[in-house]
Amino acid sequence: MVKIRTVDLTKRFGEVVAVDHVSLEIQHGEFFTLLGPSGCGKTTFLRCIAGLELPDEGKVYFDDQEVTEVPPHKRDTGMVFQNYALWPHMNVFDNIAYGLKIRGYKKEEIRKRVMEVLKLVKLEGMENRTPHQLSGGQQQRVALARAIVINPKVLLFDEPLSNLDAKLRIEMRAELKRLQRELGITTLYVTHDQEEAMSISDRIAVMNQGRVMQIGTPQEIYKHPKNEFVARFIGQGTFLYGEVVAKDGERLKVRLEAIEKEVLAVPSHPEANPDVGDRVLVMVRPESFELAPETRDSNEFEVEVYHVSFLGNSLRVQARAGDAPFVIEVDPDEEVPVGKSIKVYASPELTLAIRL
Amino acid sequence: MGSRAEGLEERLKRSLRRLKWEMDPFSWSQLFIVLAAFAAFMLIPLGMVIVRSFYTSGGFTLDSLKLVLTDDYYFPLRVHLTSDFPFISMEGVRGSLYHVVEYTRPTGEVVKIIYITGWDFGVLVNSLVVATSTAILSTVLGFTLAFIFAKYKFPGAEALRIISLIPLLSTPFVGAIGLKRMIVSDGVLNVLFHDILRVIPFKVEITGLPAVIMVQTLIFYPIVMLNAYTALISLDPSLEEQAINMGASGFRLFRTITLPLATPGVEAGALLVFILALEDLGTPIVFKGTVAEKVLTFQIFNRIFTPAGLISQEATTLALILLVISAVVFVAVRRYVSLRRYAMLGKGGIWRPRRRRLSNKTVVLVYVFVFAVLFFATLPHIGVTLLAFSKEWGTTILPESYTLNNFKAVLADEQARRSIVNSLVYSGIATVFMVILGVSAAYLVSRKKGVPGIEALDLLVTLPIAVPGIAVATGLFLTYLGTPLSPTISGAPLLIASYTVRKIPFTVRSVFSGLEQTDKALDEVAWTVGASRTRTFFTIILPLIALNVLAGGMLSFIYSMSEVSTGIVVGDANHRDAPMTWKMYDMLFHGLAGGLAQPAAMGFMLMGLQFVFIVGANLLLRKRATALIGV
Repeated sequence: MVKIRTVDLTKRFGEVVAVDHVSLEIQHGEFFTLLGPSGCGKTTFLRCIAGLELPDEGKVYFDDQEVTEVPPHKRDTGMVFQNYALWPHMNVFDNIAYGLKIRGYKKEEIRKRVMEVLKLVKLEGMENRTPHQLSGGQQQRVALARAIVINPKVLLFDEPLSNLDAKLRIEMRAELKRLQRELGITTLYVTHDQEEAMSISDRIAVMNQGRVMQIGTPQEIYKHPKNEFVARFIGQGTFLYGEVVAKDGERLKVRLEAIEKEVLAVPSHPEANPDVGDRVLVMVRPESFELAPETRDSNEFEVEVYHVSFLGNSLRVQARAGDAPFVIEVDPDEEVPVGKSIKVYASPELTLAIRL
Repeated sequence: MGSRAEGLEERLKRSLRRLKWEMDPFSWSQLFIVLAAFAAFMLIPLGMVIVRSFYTSGGFTLDSLKLVLTDDYYFPLRVHLTSDFPFISMEGVRGSLYHVVEYTRPTGEVVKIIYITGWDFGVLVNSLVVATSTAILSTVLGFTLAFIFAKYKFPGAEALRIISLIPLLSTPFVGAIGLKRMIVSDGVLNVLFHDILRVIPFKVEITGLPAVIMVQTLIFYPIVMLNAYTALISLDPSLEEQAINMGASGFRLFRTITLPLATPGVEAGALLVFILALEDLGTPIVFKGTVAEKVLTFQIFNRIFTPAGLISQEATTLALILLVISAVVFVAVRRYVSLRRYAMLGKGGIWRPRRRRLSNKTVVLVYVFVFAVLFFATLPHIGVTLLAFSKEWGTTILPESYTLNNFKAVLADEQARRSIVNSLVYSGIATVFMVILGVSAAYLVSRKKGVPGIEALDLLVTLPIAVPGIAVATGLFLTYLGTPLSPTISGAPLLIASYTVRKIPFTVRSVFSGLEQTDKALDEVAWTVGASRTRTFFTIILPLIALNVLAGGMLSFIYSMSEVSTGIVVGDANHRDAPMTWKMYDMLFHGLAGGLAQPAAMGFMLMGLQFVFIVGANLLLRKRATALIGV
């Protein structure tokens, strides 16, 4: 188990800055996820940690030891690639045993360890198959087994689930998390799927254009986005631009642009506390709205419903106030008439102002 | 932070850091052996060609160059700049396109023979005329065939396409022997069309440069055809469909869409044919005694040794000229080939090419054309085969009787036997070297793209395609005559070295394409679980590309067996250590009464081997194979 730390890590490809001065710390045994759109530099960052890329600037530490220029085979990592990268000329057993052979284990020890790990990933009896005889999900498990059997200091995942179908992906998520918790290995996981990141991670770093936009637990990132990118990238919401016209401690009064209205809000993130006169983005998560039975003083919106979808445990209402689109989630038993206006309310505590 | 603003020192430091990161001792040793082999047996010898063209024991001189450029034998054309209107005088050009001879047969029948001899423009221009004509004719023929096979559906198309590739199974040297028998005045063609079918009222004998062009075109057109075919079938059909959708059709579609998209591949093929025709020594040798010998390759070969046992500066200068022409064309090839590689990157998936059905009338036309081409294209090979098995062959269309005696005679000749063993041994050893060096080079080029300057290595190992064999031979002689590697001591070292550097592109290309088709993540994952790069190379990469290594090695081996230029030059210097190609040459001109039959028997063996190896290599790689024989 090891703590990973990067300082000002930078990697360029020609003129493109793939990773731009990224400094972060991943704790012992933590499941840490890099989340971002494709091309944001998350895979490049992971490859720098694995030793597959040489950073142009900055340093990588495993605990207190600098490993920036240590070649990959001396880093003691286990990595799972997006396309699994199973060696087609070896069967399942040999794929998994490869790392153990390199470490010079005895034959019986190798056999024992491989069998154990096959059991762990639920592939008992598959050891003599060749990779192309396996389904995508099974290949995934072999790749995972190959990475963990050497008991690495660090586990690295590069979008490991993106080639699986939706149902399998959700199963494997739980599986991965279970394994990681059992093994307690420090894990760096890369994905563009925010739901996946939310459900699996201890902490998430949201990346965009080579920079870290925010680091936090899934809850923090969802509930307290630090900037517009994170707010829009994570989850759904209703977004309204405005200007802070008054401030009373934690309470902000924001005059909206699209609707002629002033709303009460709180700063989304303590480090991005806006002042009077600042332009802000006001965000309300869908589930933060409630249908307004009685008239309130503020934070009440009259919106015109144009689409309602039933999601099982909730109703998703898409509506409009002027030009501003609203996304609202309400109790599935409510009756929401399409084409009519309804009144919705979001309490000031759940109305988040993000400094722009 | 912009990379342009940073200083030289900073850039150097960055490059060194990169180098240290990418290259481990194993990679360094791979790089070293490739560079050492190329330096010793390609670069230094070619450097010697340049140096010795201008330096004699008396110091720097332009005499030799002056001689070559002013002597009527080499360059009879004169540029007149003094008159008001500058022009090139054709006075020095000798001969005519054809001349007619008539004779009366004992039966009283008057026979008219038209000898197509072509003009003689002097050695330098002759070489260019041959190479240019061959390139143009091969392109017309190759592209037309490729277009027919790629765009039209008709019964037997696939079989005919494969038959049309047959010339790839032989070399001009062997093919020329077969074709010569076909196109002389008593040859099969005249017997067939004049004596038997009587469709032509006169006999035609093709000789001199036209014969060389004919042989080369019939052997080389498949190179253009393969390139064009690959380009045409890998065109995204939606590009054409889009154009049709917008109203283009017929010739307009062809001219505006199909042709431009296929052009890079075709041009690369045409330029390669130009180089191969330019450096071909085998065909001029077969037609020795006619104007065919007035080309650069033959002239170099003919005067490489002076009576004093030294290497003539004239030959060296001619080799330099040959080298310069090839180098210019090679630069052009590289440009187009990289373009083509780029174009292939853009292609997303595999599609079914658009093929049109033809009306019955057009099918007949297509068949007539294709069969006519295939008739001529297979003539050299049929010729060699028939000659090899012929007992007596006078003025009949087929030999009067067949025998194995030609083969027996070859095998009974001690020198011929030894030449076969020599060829097998030298080519075998060279193949081991080519595999070691070729795999190393391909690995570095494919997997160390981050190393500054690695493109130069790629250039270096593909360079031999463009370097005329006779220039290499001249260089090797200049460099190693009188050293322990001298061919007068043993022919083996220089022949093995020459085979290795000249035929390595076949191995490199095959291995490189294998590596490019092998996901780099397979190497990377091995590193992450703790395998060093060396170990990864041997336990992961090599097993995955084993087939490509084998196929590439097979091609390199067989092209070494049929290598002509160095083989004949070294063989001339040392008969004991001569390879098969020298023995064939020797039999052609200094042999016993066997005439063409015994050299043809050896040629047939070579062709047979080539057939087995090329078909074998292609079967190993199946669909990937087109990439091997193409540029």
